[in-house]
Amino acid sequence: MASTVQGLAYKAFGLQIFSEFPLPELPLTDEPGLIGSVAVIRGDLAERWQAIPKVTPSLGMLGSEVMFEAKDTAIFSIQDGIRITVSPAAGADMDCVRLYILGSCMGVLLMQKKILPLHGSALVLDNKAYALVGRSGAGKSTLASYLMDQGHLLVSDDVIPVMVQEGQPLAVPGYPQQKLWQQSLDYMGMNSSLYRPLFERETKFAVPVHDRFQTEPLPLAGVFELAVSEEEGPVTVQPINGMERFHTLFNHTYQKAIVDRIGIREWHFGMLASFVNRLPMYRLTRPKQGFSAPQQTSLIFETIKPQMEER
Amino acid sequence: MNTADVLSLQTVLVKRPGNIASDMDGEKVMLNVKNGKYYNLGEVGGEIWSALDEPVSINRIVQVIQETFDVPAETAEQDVFEFVQSLLAEDLVAIDSGS
Repeated sequence: MASTVQGLAYKAFGLQIFSEFPLPELPLTDEPGLIGSVAVIRGDLAERWQAIPKVTPSLGMLGSEVMFEAKDTAIFSIQDGIRITVSPAAGADMDCVRLYILGSCMGVLLMQKKILPLHGSALVLDNKAYALVGRSGAGKSTLASYLMDQGHLLVSDDVIPVMVQEGQPLAVPGYPQQKLWQQSLDYMGMNSSLYRPLFERETKFAVPVHDRFQTEPLPLAGVFELAVSEEEGPVTVQPINGMERFHTLFNHTYQKAIVDRIGIREWHFGMLASFVNRLPMYRLTRPKQGFSAPQQTSLIFETIKPQMEER
Repeated sequence: MNTADVLSLQTVLVKRPGNIASDMDGEKVMLNVKNGKYYNLGEVGGEIWSALDEPVSINRIVQVIQETFDVPAETAEQDVFEFVQSLLAEDLVAIDSGS
């Protein structure tokens, strides 16, 4: 693998990533990843993109290869869980290309490697990883940022690779960066002019968090689904029980639509079944208005206290 | 259709396609791909579901359950009928009309 790619090797998502494209937000590494190595190469995909059977106008699939097109940006191919080929469009914004490599491409690649990519943020609380999942706008990043401010380390932002080892889910670190909305920065009292905006999201900012990053995998000890209530009132927490847990984890699988399209539904269901019974899950509901992170945080710690005391 | 009226020990059942079953700590859980619903069949239900891998009579399922869990025929029969009713209600199995 190393010999096929000229370029630096980076560490993210439990992978050693040999990339022809600079990925400055990732730390460098000489070591093979826990999940393996992957090559990110530049190549002309125009012909193959024409030929590959389409699942949707922008998504193609053939055997163990998944291809997709981001208009005016690039065509991407993810193959066998080991290779990402990128064909940038003329004049493409390379920041944007990189976002696709580190987001959508990695999500597909992890699934090809039979690793569950959860969509959310994970943090270290009491030496274990806890995942915060929820819809866009539910407040995942804001709460993650607040928890980090309180001294808790970030495991991953956006895509959390989850491996299962002996029936125990393990959260694998992503890379040391957080994406925050302007509103979140305001709440946190951060000055957004210090951070560079993410592509086409002028009010969303990339915040490096090298000093507050968990570098090694940790057992995933719980999942909090963040929800928003239209009504005013305090932050509340309820356990998610029974088969609804499957639904919750499926819903918050990164690019869940692809699970059926690439024919891995059976694997996905089986891997959830292998640990879902032993993973506590809660729904944490906050009122729509106002900054709830402190109340959410105290409720989270109240909820996991019995688990903490068992240790 | 009132399934309670038509079910007998001789009734042959077939699985509807499109269900994915998996083991969860000894219990059988299932996903119906069509309606997107998740089911916990439990331990006994899981055995019944496995017995349905091929079209099979209720009588045969009762025998399997009776042997597997070492219970009286009456108990097995009651459990199987009850469970099969739920499977029919959820449209997870169908009565084999060809039998």
